[in-house]
Amino acid sequence: MPEIKVTPLGAGQDVGRSCILVSIGGKNIMLDCGMHMGYNDDRRFPDFSYIIQNGRLTDFLDCVIISHFHLDHCGALPYMSEMVGYDGPIYMTHPTKAICPILLEDFRKITVDKKGETNFFTSQMIKDCMKKVVPLNLHQTVQVDDELEIKAYYAGHVLGAAMVHIKVGSESVVYTGDYNMTPDRHLGAAWIDKCRPDILISESTYATTIRDSKRCRERDFLKKVHETIERGGKVLIPVFALGRAQELCILLETFWERMNLKAPIYFSTGLTEKANHYYKLFITWTNQKIRKTFVQRNMFEFKHIKAFDRSYADNPGPMVVFATPGMLHAGQSLQIFKKWAGNEKNMVIMPGYCVQGTIGHKILNGQRKLEVEGRATLDVKLQVEYMSFSAHADAKGIMQLIRMAEPRNMLLVHGEAVKMEFLKGKIEQEFSIDCYMPANGETATVTTNPSVPVDISLNLLKREMALGGSLPDPKKPRSMHGTLIMKDNSLKLVSSEQALKELGLNEHQLRFTCRVQLQDPHSDSDTLHRIYTHLKSVLKGYTTQHLPDGTVIVESIVIKVSSTPEDANTKVILLSWSYQDEDLGSFLSALLKKGLPSGLC
Amino acid sequence: MEETEFADVLDEWFIETLKTYKDLYVYQLENPTQVIEWTSEKRNSLSKSEILELHLPQRLFAQEIKGLCTERDFKVVRGGFTDGPVCCLVHVPGTRCAVTNDGLTSDLQVWDLGSDDRVTDVIRRTGGIRGSRNVAGSGSRIAAQPSSQPQVLHGAWSSDVQLSNVTSGQTLYKLAGPTSADPLTSLQFVSNCVFLASCCNGNIYIADTRTSAAPQLSPPLQSSPCDSVLWWADASSGLEPCCCRVIRLSSSGHATVSDLRNQKEAVSQAQLNIKTRCCCLNHVRVSWAPALDNCVAVSGFDGAVQIYNTSCWGTALLEAQPLFQHCGHAIALRSNDVPVCITSHVWHPERPRTLLSAASDGSVHVWDWVDS
Repeated sequence: MPEIKVTPLGAGQDVGRSCILVSIGGKNIMLDCGMHMGYNDDRRFPDFSYIIQNGRLTDFLDCVIISHFHLDHCGALPYMSEMVGYDGPIYMTHPTKAICPILLEDFRKITVDKKGETNFFTSQMIKDCMKKVVPLNLHQTVQVDDELEIKAYYAGHVLGAAMVHIKVGSESVVYTGDYNMTPDRHLGAAWIDKCRPDILISESTYATTIRDSKRCRERDFLKKVHETIERGGKVLIPVFALGRAQELCILLETFWERMNLKAPIYFSTGLTEKANHYYKLFITWTNQKIRKTFVQRNMFEFKHIKAFDRSYADNPGPMVVFATPGMLHAGQSLQIFKKWAGNEKNMVIMPGYCVQGTIGHKILNGQRKLEVEGRATLDVKLQVEYMSFSAHADAKGIMQLIRMAEPRNMLLVHGEAVKMEFLKGKIEQEFSIDCYMPANGETATVTTNPSVPVDISLNLLKREMALGGSLPDPKKPRSMHGTLIMKDNSLKLVSSEQALKELGLNEHQLRFTCRVQLQDPHSDSDTLHRIYTHLKSVLKGYTTQHLPDGTVIVESIVIKVSSTPEDANTKVILLSWSYQDEDLGSFLSALLKKGLPSGLC
Repeated sequence: MEETEFADVLDEWFIETLKTYKDLYVYQLENPTQVIEWTSEKRNSLSKSEILELHLPQRLFAQEIKGLCTERDFKVVRGGFTDGPVCCLVHVPGTRCAVTNDGLTSDLQVWDLGSDDRVTDVIRRTGGIRGSRNVAGSGSRIAAQPSSQPQVLHGAWSSDVQLSNVTSGQTLYKLAGPTSADPLTSLQFVSNCVFLASCCNGNIYIADTRTSAAPQLSPPLQSSPCDSVLWWADASSGLEPCCCRVIRLSSSGHATVSDLRNQKEAVSQAQLNIKTRCCCLNHVRVSWAPALDNCVAVSGFDGAVQIYNTSCWGTALLEAQPLFQHCGHAIALRSNDVPVCITSHVWHPERPRTLLSAASDGSVHVWDWVDS
């Protein structure tokens, strides 16, 4: 049976890294290549030994597809392509291609320079890896080779995030990456057409939650900022250049305007230019509202948000500053942090995940005394707030996506099977489709039912339609006889005679004969007549005839009666039928073996 | 209302809430729920044709480390499928058992909420309790006994109230006496054995499951001129029956507070500012706050939950203004939208100003308001 195999790579039940292998129609595809941020050793990389014990992956993979720039989806890419070895194409959207290397380089710097690790990819490896990237546009079908094609769909979640549709022949798979079904201030919601893939693969990390609304999270953020400003404190928001920063700026601008607030908001120099540059490049990836405003004015010319100068950090009074880098591991955000950490009126709001080893990670774990250069300790007295604005789909989102795409099967990765029996039941009940939940390292095999298009010859069609009398019932399958000829890439169904002619062969006739003994105290011709009556009552819908030459005919089956020489009452019924009527012939012989019912005239 | 206007109205309200609420969480379910019930002080259940046991967001609870806790979501701990709608759901205290009624017949369904050893996350039906066969077409109210006996009190009419064992279905007690069959709006235990059966015509029966004596009948304190007035009631719990107070509310907004032992006189009363916007009043609920003295919450007439402080009420019938109104469910209504109605609300058992409310559009809010 044709089948598609899906294996999430990784060990045990750990979540936090995406790397999924799909085998479809003879092609092998790697979906995402993420780094597990919780480990410091080789466990953070996906386990490629599943594909091949030693050696390069090029021959075993037809392509690699990356859904978006988050490190748990692309963090291990340079390791895979340059250290393990892969030279084939790596597909990702344009924004992902632009932003990925920046994040990877940042990450590399922290890991190698700050933590001094050695088994890690280098800057050059990142560059070499990105040279293998082939960028994708939304809704554009790309032929990876003669048989494999892929298409990207909008996923929301972060700038450039995509869901991917993969097709080989008539089998297809959709991988969602991370997606979001509700639009927010700068991104739209995920969308896909009714592509009816054989499998829809989705993360299930948040499948057992019901998400609090985005606005409530924003409200929390605004409340914290406002409270700090009101008591005269300063708010530091360390951000990465793109994505979250813009969203929060738009939010604060709206808030400041509404509340008529006067405290200054600053945006780190360099951030503005970079952001502007990227947003101009990728404006089609933002939501409609942003696109509209962008036309009217430069998106980052906010009324209340100004460019930061490092001397402002010493100014008295309340202020809000957005500064890079996002994990407080170096640069301007760290400098400002050091200045403001000692005052309990101040606040730092971390809007995202921080890698181990960074100051961000330490303070989020409650550390209140930090070691800084020169063996000095820094007392962390300011308020630390961790807020997650990341948009992920919950159970409701998964159900919505299934409704949109109408897959034949559902596959959930990164969830614990016992915790998801209810969701599995929900999906099976509402959509009547199977739901698979392979653990990491486990392969889920999904049988597919690909349609095989075959041309039927007109003669054969006409002949079959003439048989069986009344019009065929579209709900009842009927078996027919024909010969399938496969020539080059075409499949043709023709009548046996035509096939024999084309192949220059002679047709053989197959006839079966069977003898059934029967006790019947009548003359041969009477017995035959009794048999005729019996069959006529049993075989309704078949042509049963009693011919004057002493035979009974049912379709092509011939029945004759003779008596044994020893006993005139012991009859021998001879049945003979052609191969085409084998079923009916077997049925008749079994029927007659039971004898004739009494009461026949 | 255009999409941007809608967004603006929502933004306005959220900004207002910065001052009026300490905490606010907004969720959207796939289908609306009519029921919210506590299974422990951190978990509750919702249902429509599914029963969900949810863990409240961690951030609501974290005290010192609140800032570092980013969890704002409900965690679906367990779920189960029901054959029909769920109109009433009661958790049997001290057990992992829940009892439901579908609002169509008086039969009850019994469920196992499962244990924490996590073999599965599915809530399974374990049995049923037959309701009274005499009456059909209306759903039963259910009340669980406060002591952890696996017994529930149930009935749809005042003439068929009975106490049944959850596992065996055996009837342990039947409310004797009342000749009239009045539809019930609620059943509630005020102590281990004393309970109130409140009828929609305003009658309240007080009975004791230990005796087969006829119940004490308490008609509404002021007979209303209009027969179609409906009544709801709630008794304050957690105290001895001697300090228990009963609040009654009519569909015309007349509220009275009286002592459980002396139902003939009203301790105080008020005319509440109620405008009915809902097409039916099936989901009206009035409840005393478990941890905030003298406060009651009222919902089900429209898209808001109102909090009243009854200590400001006097013996004369005067108009009372709510102490607080939670309007979040109906805040931005588009012109062709059906009006949103609150289907259920519960107070948090310990946090004085925290409530959960659910509405007909599937929204569920958890909110902690600020006393101005």
